[in-house]
Amino acid sequence: MNEYTTTRHNELVDPSLHIWGWEIPVYLFIGGLVAGMMIITGYFIFKGKYKDKACVCRSLPLLGMIILSAGMFALFLDLEHKLYTWRLYLTFKATSPMSWGAWILIVVYPTMIASFLVNVPEYFSRKFPWMVGISEKLQQHKYAVKNIGVVNMLLGGLLGIYTGVLLSALGARPLWNSSMLWLLFLVSGLSAASAFVHMVAKRVEERELLAKADNGFLILEIFVIGLFIIGMLTSTKVHIQSALVLLSGLYAPAFWVFVLGIGIVIPLILQLLAVNHKIKHTPIAPIMVIVGGLVLRFVIVYAGQYTHWVDAAF
Amino acid sequence: MNTPFFKYGLFGDDVSLVIAFVIGIGFGFFLERAGFGNGRKLAAQFYFNDLTVFKVMFTAIITAMVGIYYLSVIGWMDLSLVYLNPTYIVPQTIGGLLLGFGFVIGGYCPGTSCVSAVTGKIDGMVYLLGIVVGIFIFGEIFPLVSNFYNSTPMGQITLSQLFNIPYGILVFAVVMMAIGGFAAAEWAEKKLGNKIVEP
Amino acid sequence: MSSTSNEVQHGPKPYWNPYLSGMGLGLVLLLSYVIMGRGLGASGAFSSLVATGVSAIAPEHAKANEFYNEYLADTTKSPLKDWLVFEVLGVLAGGFISGALAGRIKKTVEKGPHISVSGRLLYAFVGGAIMGIGAKLARGCTSGQALTGGAVLNVGSWAFILAVFGGAYMFAYFFRRQWR
Repeated sequence: MNEYTTTRHNELVDPSLHIWGWEIPVYLFIGGLVAGMMIITGYFIFKGKYKDKACVCRSLPLLGMIILSAGMFALFLDLEHKLYTWRLYLTFKATSPMSWGAWILIVVYPTMIASFLVNVPEYFSRKFPWMVGISEKLQQHKYAVKNIGVVNMLLGGLLGIYTGVLLSALGARPLWNSSMLWLLFLVSGLSAASAFVHMVAKRVEERELLAKADNGFLILEIFVIGLFIIGMLTSTKVHIQSALVLLSGLYAPAFWVFVLGIGIVIPLILQLLAVNHKIKHTPIAPIMVIVGGLVLRFVIVYAGQYTHWVDAAF
Repeated sequence: MNTPFFKYGLFGDDVSLVIAFVIGIGFGFFLERAGFGNGRKLAAQFYFNDLTVFKVMFTAIITAMVGIYYLSVIGWMDLSLVYLNPTYIVPQTIGGLLLGFGFVIGGYCPGTSCVSAVTGKIDGMVYLLGIVVGIFIFGEIFPLVSNFYNSTPMGQITLSQLFNIPYGILVFAVVMMAIGGFAAAEWAEKKLGNKIVEP
Repeated sequence: MSSTSNEVQHGPKPYWNPYLSGMGLGLVLLLSYVIMGRGLGASGAFSSLVATGVSAIAPEHAKANEFYNEYLADTTKSPLKDWLVFEVLGVLAGGFISGALAGRIKKTVEKGPHISVSGRLLYAFVGGAIMGIGAKLARGCTSGQALTGGAVLNVGSWAFILAVFGGAYMFAYFFRRQWR
């Protein structure tokens, strides 16, 4: 029972409330994953690997588009005024990461379609023979193909960076107020994508290469998380308290067990042993990396909303 | 040094979950090392072919028991802060019999079935499902059995208090019995043809 | 994923010496006592899981039941945010790591030669269900009651250990076809 009503009873006033549910972390994860997939596709195309029939870069663009669309749908679910989504595209604000994101997402699709057309997957070339014609024409222009690869890598990088900048631009949450966030999400996206491709690739060399790349990204991710935490711990009291929410507070179990343990350290050990042929390759390690990447977005988004400037002692 | 650390407030509930995960890794690792992810090896215990279950279990018990006793003697551990599951002697004995019955039928216990399932044994996975269903059945019939469940309470009590024998002497006696048991187990395995189950 | 030609193919390594792995288990248990003041467990994690599931489907029913409610009492956090749940997650990870290192990860059904796969799986399911009921009645399983309580000379735990071995030896004869 309220004795009297004030504006504080409006549940959207208090900044400690959760406003973002599952949709945003899922979208951020998928954005990072697809960004990583674009970078990997771009790399293979750039290196001329697309000529190989079994190259995973033939199937990745389509998979990427499907997955990204699912992520966009999650984002769409989160929008308060779904009917006015189109208005995002009537305006462009150079200082708004939301605006940048909306436009990056628009350009990402044609880029992926271009990489798709470089060497159309078998299923499509049988059903739609005219697509083969496009592939053949494209492949005659070596530099065009190389440029498609480069643009894929560039836009993949931008997409991955944007998923982090989106959060770090929101100054109201001390945990997000870090210049490391874009790097963390980019590297995490790359490791999740490498793990994903490691699972779906048919060629052994590709699988090995991506397992090795994944190991590199995971090691890098440990460093980036370390820098992110150190950056917080050496900042103001509010930032220190925010970091402690991850290190020993409410989100410590999820952070240590799921993000670091199951998401990075254990699969890293397994994959290091696997690439050195000490143990067999199994899909378990990649699945762990992907789960860890997803939980990382949840932890950062949820713990971020939990931290605020008003009251430093959460 | 004062242990248990958690009881002295060295860290909070959230960090304790992280520690739980790390301790669990050790637990699962050694269970698998011992061969407890293999239902054949576990069940072989009850046919006197391979007495690994007995050996591992009692080595573990006496290692931890001696360690705890030692730490409490030199004053590093406060035994009164260690959690003691309260004793309800009759339901626990009946539960133990049921558990043994389930053990020979299913081939695992809850902890070992986790290790079994995660190393790819389908019977272990099905067994886990069985446990969940069993606990659900127990939950549903709980109102009917709750009187029995709470019967014959003896509180938090150790064997040393029950028999009025000093803790240290009891520890020594258990170690001696275990060593005797190990010798008997080795003898029985040799006598009965040493059919140790390998992976 | 199918194994490939340039991967190492060696058979599974033998299990460790029982006294060595037993000592390892004992030290883990000791560590748990030193750090947490409590021992290990397994079946409690599944109780949390069941209680969570029941309360998700029929919240009123779960709240009215004393057994489920024990796991749901603290409404400030999810019942899955529980010590034993995280410990069992660790058991899964540790078991997998050990199995992978020794080349013992293999999709298989462990059984004796005289029983069919479906027969074995049926036994596994029924055995698991009986074990679930027994473990709850005894307030713990082989890990939570026998190992953990055994090490601190708990009266109920030692009665439980004797009962488990007694029960298993009593009934082993009737199920020998499954294993031999």
